[in-house]
Amino acid sequence: MTVKRMLIGLGNPFRSDDAAGLEVADRVRTIEAHRVMFGSYELIDLWEEADEVIIVDATRTGSPPGTVRQFDPLRAPLPLGTFTSTHAVGVAETIELARALRRLPASLVVYGIEAGDLTSGTALSPEVEEAVATVTREIDDA
Amino acid sequence: MSTEREIAVDYLARVEGEGAMYLKLRGDEVLDLKFKIFEPPRFFEAFLRGRSFKEVPDITARICGICPVAYQMSSCAAMEDAAGVRVDGPIRALRRLLYCGEWIESHVLHLYFLHAPDFLGYESAVAMAHDHQAIVERGLRLKRLGNRIMTLLGGREIHPINVKVGGFYRTPTRRELAAMVPELEWALEAALATAEWVSAFSFPEFERDYEFVALRHEDEYAIHEGRVVSNRGLDIAVDEWPEHFEETHVAWSNALHAHIKERGAFHVGPMARYSLNSEQLTPVAKMAAETAGLGPVCRNPFRSIVVRAVETVLAVEEALRLIAEYEQPPSPSIAVDPRGAVGHGATEAPRGLLYHRYLVDDAGAITDAHIVPPTSQNQLSIEDDLKVYASGHAALGDDELRWQLEQAIRNYDPCISCATHFLDLTVDREP
Repeated sequence: MTVKRMLIGLGNPFRSDDAAGLEVADRVRTIEAHRVMFGSYELIDLWEEADEVIIVDATRTGSPPGTVRQFDPLRAPLPLGTFTSTHAVGVAETIELARALRRLPASLVVYGIEAGDLTSGTALSPEVEEAVATVTREIDDA
Repeated sequence: MSTEREIAVDYLARVEGEGAMYLKLRGDEVLDLKFKIFEPPRFFEAFLRGRSFKEVPDITARICGICPVAYQMSSCAAMEDAAGVRVDGPIRALRRLLYCGEWIESHVLHLYFLHAPDFLGYESAVAMAHDHQAIVERGLRLKRLGNRIMTLLGGREIHPINVKVGGFYRTPTRRELAAMVPELEWALEAALATAEWVSAFSFPEFERDYEFVALRHEDEYAIHEGRVVSNRGLDIAVDEWPEHFEETHVAWSNALHAHIKERGAFHVGPMARYSLNSEQLTPVAKMAAETAGLGPVCRNPFRSIVVRAVETVLAVEEALRLIAEYEQPPSPSIAVDPRGAVGHGATEAPRGLLYHRYLVDDAGAITDAHIVPPTSQNQLSIEDDLKVYASGHAALGDDELRWQLEQAIRNYDPCISCATHFLDLTVDREP
């Protein structure tokens, strides 16, 4: 049986470093990738058909821009306030809803790339650009 | 001597955008009450100036990720009014269908995931989902159907790209629409079950004598077209809106407060629509309202969740009818030629009446834009509800009172991102 892998890159393409997840989705070569602008409940439907899911999103924790963190939400909920959304529902809440509904994928990894610049714009800052390249390579080489 | 106290919510949960509430009480006397909107102003009206009239549905759709269709429909209506053209037949029907998709998506999101946890005593939909798995799954599936309608007609589920002044870029085939029928048939049962579920919640005894304002259409439960009417005698064409309404700025809100001239606060949204037009409900929706015990008029804002459920039934029923009657039009849009004019448009966003007015020059460039979202119109009504509720429930402890006042705000499903074109709650009791 083949294992179906899926990458979901989250972000807003018009808020500079917030697009880090979208950029990774654009660049990976070895995995089915989806660009998603809203990390909302629809993600649960999206990953339904996958066995291994990787989510990449920007974080805002105050660490140096470009810092990459890896989380395993199957072990513990995502830390509060790490992944931010200006909308009613974010990725952390969606994952918790899926857990309550027993609809988490068999394998789930969340990469967080610390954003520096979140103002209006379409360019990544250099540190985040480098982090996007690193995460892309890590996923493609896996 | 009673004590003064402050109750504050610095960052309202389960609302779209950033806002707050502050209340200062002495005994049961409300000394100060503010529903604060601190989400920064977004200046859409300013950056529309100089753009082509054709760009307005795509630009204004960006005001809101939950109700983009409302912005597209009100802006198209205004531009078509300015150009003196009328969209009718299958294109008009498709617009109503697209709007039904947005009502389903938005009402189900609010009802299941933002509002129901209040009534069942959960702090979030996630907490609720642990105990009510099947119900939450039903909500997700209904919401997905709303998204599916929006994706098929709008090109994608958020910020649709297929809407243009004069109609659509592409219209669906009968077969594409018919593919949604089995899921819509399931949804009609699911929406009825939703109405039954929420009608069994317990609601605070609280009614106010609102002036309800909504669109009314002679042939249908108004969604995307009609006259602006109220239960106090207002009955005007959309282009008369500026003669009857005005907006003022207050220091604690980045959204303008709308008033009816010489009368003041009014109420827009599902409860206003229902109370003004309940006799025009579709048959199954009417049955759902009767089973839920709503009566022809609803003045208890806490029961707005039941009204949203009834409107969800209506939206599903309407979608089924519109699909059954659909004939693909020969052209997806009608020609709209610009002319120097003022255009007014109003449609019923999920949260209530959304009014747009544009000035366009002969070349079709926008010279002035004015957008009045429902949440901005409801601010005075929300503050009045909070004052009356706080005064009547001053005996409650701070935490309990704060929780109930937050709930009173969520009754309106406020969309603060829209109103500023973000919310926090503080209760302050004086010693």
